Amino acid sequence: MLTYIFKRLLIAVPLIFGVLTLTFFIIRLAPGDPAAFFIQPGISPNVAMQIREQYGLNDPLLVQYLKWLMNVLQGDFGRSFSRAQQPVIEVIASALPITVTIAVLTLIANFVFGIIIGVVSAVRQNSFLDRFMTVGALFFYSMPEFWFALMMIILFALKIPIFPASGLNEIGAEGFGPFGFAMDRLWHLVLPVTVLSINGAAGIARYVRGSMLEVIRQDYIRTARAKGLPERVVIMRHALRNALLPVITLMGSSLPFIFSGALFIEVIFAFPGMGRVTVEAIFARDYPLIIANTFISGTLIIFGNLLADVLYAVVDPRIKL
Amino acid sequence: MRLVAFFFLLLCVMGCGGGRGGSSGPSAMDSTLVITSLGDADYLNPVIGATVTSSNIFGLIYPSLLQSSFDTSTGLLNYMALEKQLRRGGTELKKPEAALARSWTFSPDHKTLTYHLRSDAFWDDGVPIVAGDFRFSYMLYGNPRIASPRQQYLAELVGAEKGAVDFSRAVTAQNDTTLVFRFHKPVPEYLALFHTSLTPLPEHFWKDVKPEEFRQSSLNQNPLGAGPYRLKSWKQQQELLLESSASANLPKPGNIPIISFRVVPDYTVRLAQLQTGAVDVVENIKPQDFEGLRSAAVPVEIKTVGLRVYDYVGWSNIDREEYLKNGRITPHPLFGSAKVRRALTMAIDRQSIMDGYLKEYGELADSDISPSLKWAYNSSIVPYAFNARKASEMLRDEGWVPGPDGILQKAGRRFSFSLYTNAGNERRNYASVIIQQNLRAIGIECRLEVQESNVFFENLQSRRLDAWMAGWSIGLEIDPMDVWGSDLETSRFNFTGYRNPRLDQLCLLAKEKMDPLQARPYWLEYQEMLHRDQPVTFLYWIRETQGFSTRIQGEELNISGVFYNIDDWTLRPSATLAP
Repeated sequence: MLTYIFKRLLIAVPLIFGVLTLTFFIIRLAPGDPAAFFIQPGISPNVAMQIREQYGLNDPLLVQYLKWLMNVLQGDFGRSFSRAQQPVIEVIASALPITVTIAVLTLIANFVFGIIIGVVSAVRQNSFLDRFMTVGALFFYSMPEFWFALMMIILFALKIPIFPASGLNEIGAEGFGPFGFAMDRLWHLVLPVTVLSINGAAGIARYVRGSMLEVIRQDYIRTARAKGLPERVVIMRHALRNALLPVITLMGSSLPFIFSGALFIEVIFAFPGMGRVTVEAIFARDYPLIIANTFISGTLIIFGNLLADVLYAVVDPRIKL
Repeated sequence: MRLVAFFFLLLCVMGCGGGRGGSSGPSAMDSTLVITSLGDADYLNPVIGATVTSSNIFGLIYPSLLQSSFDTSTGLLNYMALEKQLRRGGTELKKPEAALARSWTFSPDHKTLTYHLRSDAFWDDGVPIVAGDFRFSYMLYGNPRIASPRQQYLAELVGAEKGAVDFSRAVTAQNDTTLVFRFHKPVPEYLALFHTSLTPLPEHFWKDVKPEEFRQSSLNQNPLGAGPYRLKSWKQQQELLLESSASANLPKPGNIPIISFRVVPDYTVRLAQLQTGAVDVVENIKPQDFEGLRSAAVPVEIKTVGLRVYDYVGWSNIDREEYLKNGRITPHPLFGSAKVRRALTMAIDRQSIMDGYLKEYGELADSDISPSLKWAYNSSIVPYAFNARKASEMLRDEGWVPGPDGILQKAGRRFSFSLYTNAGNERRNYASVIIQQNLRAIGIECRLEVQESNVFFENLQSRRLDAWMAGWSIGLEIDPMDVWGSDLETSRFNFTGYRNPRLDQLCLLAKEKMDPLQARPYWLEYQEMLHRDQPVTFLYWIRETQGFSTRIQGEELNISGVFYNIDDWTLRPSATLAP
């Protein structure tokens, strides 16, 4: 297996560079100008030119590429155009913790609720509870996140004001002490995490239900029941473990989500996370930041897939890598 | 299930405990004014800061040479030093105490401006503010390596006519309190005062920063100023806190102890927070939300400033393909004739667009001089009324007759085009649909195309669009040559290709007048000319509307800015606070 992982990692290097090179050229081909903001009446026409010069955009494309390549090989992704020339690594480093906090909380909620709902509705297949949960899951799964988020804000922040509408902390939260501060932060995260996880859990529930239904019809489940094992043990130990195999691959593919952020939720709840960094960078044609983001999400997708494959082999002894 | 129930119970308890409006006495909110904004500040440095939020903050943390106030009865700006002012009038609320200049003298040839500075002004670290700080700052503004977006202000200084300002002569500090600016040509006094009013930086604080590292310096995030407020903390893309500066004497420490600028990108959420009292100021409220705000739990006031923004439909006056390919200027096959453009304006029901969207917060536009600039505005122009029948007749006179499909035709060419606009502007979307219907009614086919803003702007600049809908936000000084100048190579924003030598001449004549009031006749004729030629269809002026929590007192809004006297605002304490 180690050789397999090593090989995959080796292939990943040219793959990521390929993706970055492609991104480098594609964003420069796209219409729009990073200095466009400075082209307006009342601002000297020289400004846009001087800014382009500073960003090195007046060089021929090939020269720009070689310079960029040299810097990236030394681990330098450059400075952001749109965020006051901060090094892009710093921009990302300040957005990541927020994104990761939300994503980890969401993922936990997703899997916990998804698996519970999936198992219950599979075990009680075709009962009222199953129908109710399946329809409910489908309902939430097909609901647009941004709309759901706004509805939650209107309901729980405006009509019944128990949760804050946005932000990460209350005004003056620094004075609450460390525990109060953490509680305040958690209180601010309730609505966004609820929105994200209801949506995600519904998807996972459908996966779990499907695979669970398949498993409980297997011969070994019948054998387990025939042995006289209690139903709880049959479901939890014999069926669930096997039914979770496909769900584990989902965990691997959730990895990029953890780091790439949830754009709509970040915009609506005013969290400065990765989703907003990426989209604002694209709108501002902030080339270094776009490329650094691509690097992160590209790397994570590749590693996520690798992780999923490896996890699969770890949990299922029938699979050999 | 029990776990879930417990979880919800816990959250509800937290929710109730953490929420404001409890009976736990004064909260941090009682001493904090919360202003929401769409985007964050970039640099807290007036030489390079370019975002709206940055500009709002500069006014609070940095000193200024003069104070300006906008006279709503004339539309002219007044400049005030401690012991002198340019003209009478302007608001009573704006006092000159914050000005660094005691007075100024302007040479009779209009080429030398001498400021006499006060000697009792200090930066926040106690170092005196001297004339040398201004000279140092102007050299930064003029340094091409720094690329200041405000370098246009230096265009009249000695040397600028040859390409680079000669700082040995243009800006000199004769001693700590005497600052002299020299211009290469005669400049009207108001313009000289305006262009020498750039915000200074403390030389002792910045002098070791190399120009090539200027934008990357950490000082941009930790400014040293001298205004009524100073920076308390800044969590980028989240919240910037200013605290009242206890030692300030320009003019005094701010009344409200803390001002918070919070980044809330989503409009609906900004609105919800204004309604719950979580924030105090939300800019650019859409007219359809007024009703909801007026009945909010926390009382909200809607305030407006003057008319600075207008929307228009642009028509390419010239055949842009011919121009781009061969450099030849020929009339556009559809919009080349002024009569056709006038007919288009008459065919568009501008009043309906306003009634449907802006309501009383719009005003018909007939040129790009705002009705708020009363000294120059031509009130005798009667806007073209909506008249589809007359528009059809005018088009028929021009040879446009209905074809077999009902669309107007002339020499085999159908009157059919795409109207482009930028994505994400609800007001323009609304207007464009009405325009499409109006034009269809007189036999013109108009397809609507929405483009991403960057792409749209680039297409406009390179004159790749025949018809588009956009808007301009005007400055308080009238300088329209960039937009209408006949030389299409140098007039960067003349997207229509409109050319009128008389208009160029009027702009030049107006600029040469040393007293703006003497330029009034030229501007009146200018507006008549634009009204007659309709290079674009001017749609409406937009009264920008701001939502204010009623706990704010003493605020005065003005065309020169929403936060213009913010250091004088006070907050009414909440009901829970003991007297």
